[in-house]
Parts: sequence; C-alpha cells; structure tokens
Amino acid sequence: MNWELIGDILLATVPLLVIFPSMFALTTWVERKALARIQNRIGPNKVGVPLTPYGGNLSLFGLGQPAADGIKMLFKENIVPTGADRLFHLLAPILSLIPAMLVLCFLPLEFPWLNGEQNSVKAFMLDGAVIFFFAITGLNTLAVFMAGWASRNKYSLLGGMRAIAQMVSYEIPLVLSAVVVVMIVGSLNAAEIAEAQAGWNWYVFQPWGLAAFVIFFIAALAETNRSPFDLPEAESEIIAGYFTEYSGFKFALFFLGEYIAMFAISGLAVTLFLGAGGGPGVEALPWLKVIWFLAKVCILIGVMIWLRGTLPRLRVDQLMGFAWKFLLPLSILNIFIAGFAWHAKKANEGTAVSVIVWVAALIILYAAAKGLDHVNRAKVKPRTYQYGE
Amino acid sequence: MNEVTAFWILAAISVIGALVAVRKRNLVHGVFALLVFFAGLAGLFLLLLAEFIAVVQILVYAGAVGILILFAIMLTDRVTGKDAFRVTSRGSFWGAIIALAVFLVILLPTIREIPLIENATPKDMIVEQSSVKELGTKLIEPYIVTIEVLALLLTAALIGAVTAAQGGRASEKGENTE
Repeated sequence: MNWELIGDILLATVPLLVIFPSMFALTTWVERKALARIQNRIGPNKVGVPLTPYGGNLSLFGLGQPAADGIKMLFKENIVPTGADRLFHLLAPILSLIPAMLVLCFLPLEFPWLNGEQNSVKAFMLDGAVIFFFAITGLNTLAVFMAGWASRNKYSLLGGMRAIAQMVSYEIPLVLSAVVVVMIVGSLNAAEIAEAQAGWNWYVFQPWGLAAFVIFFIAALAETNRSPFDLPEAESEIIAGYFTEYSGFKFALFFLGEYIAMFAISGLAVTLFLGAGGGPGVEALPWLKVIWFLAKVCILIGVMIWLRGTLPRLRVDQLMGFAWKFLLPLSILNIFIAGFAWHAKKANEGTAVSVIVWVAALIILYAAAKGLDHVNRAKVKPRTYQYGE
Repeated sequence: MNEVTAFWILAAISVIGALVAVRKRNLVHGVFALLVFFAGLAGLFLLLLAEFIAVVQILVYAGAVGILILFAIMLTDRVTGKDAFRVTSRGSFWGAIIALAVFLVILLPTIREIPLIENATPKDMIVEQSSVKELGTKLIEPYIVTIEVLALLLTAALIGAVTAAQGGRASEKGENTE
C-alpha cells in the first residue's frame, strides 16, 4: 500500500466532496431567497439557530433552512410505488449523482495544499479531460431515464423521455461551442486551457469566444434541466417529471445531483471561457486562484437563478427547434469564424486587425442569428378550435 | 492493488454485464447490463493507457448507443418490461460454434503474436506523448484524406437517412396543403 499516494488522493478529492455539497446547501437558500425577491416575496427567513440564550431563536435571514431541509429529507418516509422496479428505483438517484461528482475532478482547481509532483489533481488532468467531462456528464441522461422508467408512472416516463430528447439535442451545441476553445488552445487538457488564458487573456474577450460562451451557457442550462428549459420537470404539465415518485432521501440525492451538475458545467464554462482561476492578484498570491474560480462559478449560478426567475418555460417543439435549427448552425459557423480569426491574427499582429476581426465576426454572427431567427420563426396563424357537441 | 487486480475486477464486471445483458428477459434491464459491460470495457482500455479509446467507448457506446437502444425500446409496446420476450435458445448451439470459430481463427493467432505481458516491462509500453495528441496528429497529417472521405460518406448517409425517413410524408403534406 502506498500510503503517501492515498494521502495525496484524499487531499485532492475530499475538498471537492466538502466544497461543492456545502455550496449546494447555500445555493438552495440563495435560490429561494432570490426567487422570492424576484416574485415580491420574502422567502425563508425563520429558521436559524434554535435555542440561543437571548430570545430563544436566532434567525440569520433563514440561513438554517438548508440544514433543516436536509434533516427533513433524511427522516422522510421512503415511498416506492407498488408497480415500480425496486432495484432501478433505488439505483437511479445514485447514478444521477455519481457522474456529476466524478466530473468535478476534471476542473482545474488548484488547491494551495497540493503542490509540485505530488499534485494528484494532475492525475485527473488527463489529456482528454474535456472529452472525459462531456462523456461522463452524458451518463446523467441514463439516470434520468432509469428514474422515469422505474417509477412506473406515465408522468415519470414522459419526463424521462423529454429529458433524454433534450439532453441529447443540447449536447451537440454544447460540445461544438467548446470545440472552438480546444481548437485555439490545441489541447484538450483543462489545465493547459487554463494556462493559455493566464493574464486576462480570457476567451470570452474574443468575438468567437463570446459567441461560444453564450451558446455554451444556453446549452448548459438545457443540459442541467434549468429553467427556461426545465421541461422534464415541468410542474404544470407533468407534475415533477422523472422524480414524481421519489421522496425523502432519494429525492434529496436527485436534487443534489442536479445542483452538482450545475456547478460542474459552470466550472467547465469558467475553465473554457472565463480564464479559470485567473483574476487580480493571482501572480502574487497563487491561492487566490481557487477563490476566483469558485467566485466565477457562483456568479454563473447566480445568473442561472436570475434566469429562472425571469424567463417563462419553453414549449417542447420550440425547445427542439431552438437546439437544432438555431444553436447548432450558429455554433458550426462560429468554428469557422474562430479559424479565420486565428489565421488573420497570426498573419499580422496589430490592433487594426483585431478590430477588423471583432467587427467582421460580430456582423457575421449577428446576421446569421437574425437570419436563423427569421427562418425559424413560426408563421403564426389564427387558431381554429373545434368544440365537441 | 496493482494493474493485474484491477484487470480482473474490470474483466469480471464486463463479463458479468455481458452475460446479464444476454440472459435478462426484461429488455430495459438488459440494456443497462449492456451499459455496465461498456463501462467495464472502457475501464480496461484505460488500464491499457488508451484513454482516448476509453473515453470514446463511454461517449459513443455507453452514451449514444445506449440511449439509441432505449429510444427503440420506448417505441415498442414492451416499455413496461413486464411481458418481455421469451429468450429462445434454439440458435445457441450455432452461436456458440460461430463464437468459438471467431476465437480460434481470428483472436487466438493475434493474441499469440503479441509478446506476453511479463516480457514487456510497463515502461516500454508507456508512450512519450499522450495518446490523444498522437492520435490527433496522425489523423491530421497522414490520414487527412481518409478522414475527409469518411466524413463526406457519413454526411451523405445522414442526409440520406433523413430523406428516406421523411420522403413519403413530405409529399403527402404538400398534397394536403393544396
């Protein structure tokens, strides 16, 4: 037994298992609070630290809510429908959590206590890290299907089918927008991608990078079943979709898996487009890298919450059309633009060239987006209704 | 815990997954057993330092092919998984003979040509450059024409499939609107 290696692995992985689930707990509170403010409510504000000496109950803006929710989830009854496939019903939440947790390893989080040769995070910095990320997050789809199928409930099955169709469709623009960065860096290694963006050389500041980031973020929203793409769990249509029949701790696992997947995909967006750990003061204090990385992830999560409170849900056909007829052609076009921009810059360095590249790229992308929008816009005709007599 | 132990564990997972996939009457259970087999295979590739093949194994087989089969099952009335097929064992004799023939004729000579693992020290097997990078360079430099032709062929097949699937209905639609 190589104890040193095991120690290194624990040093690298345990922080991931501590940081992200605790971020999840806080995010649920932040989300409820933010959504409440958007909807002109107050949100959870009662639960705090019970039995404090003065005044009995110290309510820190309801910050005790996540802990209370967690305890409630743990002690709730676990209900399995009679007709359900018991094994798959049990396996599905676990299977939805595993890929989400696994891909966290591929994020280039440089913890200060890991250094040099013994940096076991480097073990996960495989040369195919970005593809690994996409391959493993793709397995989440199977868990969703498993849950929908095992519950033996029509709504669950419908939700599962919607989830599969949506995730398969949006994976393509997601990967194609990431391809741009991989192409420019010339590496699939997440650490190398992070290094290439050191010193404010973030790819979101490039015209193709900006476009790719927007496409990536939209596709990431769909991939993690976030609003406005939360059709698989559309409450008003199919109750709760694939986890209709889940209660107690299994439901909590689904919930956790969904949020961890959000963190993971935001982490990938930060790695690819927002300069990973880059930020002010990282040269002097390298440990700031982790802070900046997590801060950027939190900002993206904040945007996701904001969008959830703002945008209404899409229809199924709109959802599919948007992925296949709008995002897909745009992301393919973006790959060409990135190639041209790279060659133009390589040929002659200078501000004039970069300005031209910026303007040309934006004009092309804008025209393409407008054109696609025009082509795809449904010809709205007055509906005719036929009533039963 | 060394590579050999890992190999036996992964091999056991793969073989059990494959057996369950074949023997299980419940179609959906069978598909998931097949996915376990694919995952075990990906692990074996990873053990051989072929990380790209491992990731493609997960991406294409466990991800895409698995979903495809599930979609196909969803379109049948066996969705519930209750009244699944009776697995008939009529063809099993010939199946076993064919499998044995493939093993003897193709696999065994190939295996015998490869030097035994004991003879090759692991250090010889580790390539200097990572497999992904090497594969990428190979695909771009000597095999670019092959890749392009393949890409064209696949695109043509894709368009053909869409046309074949839509052809009849598109013309019907045209008639209806007129």
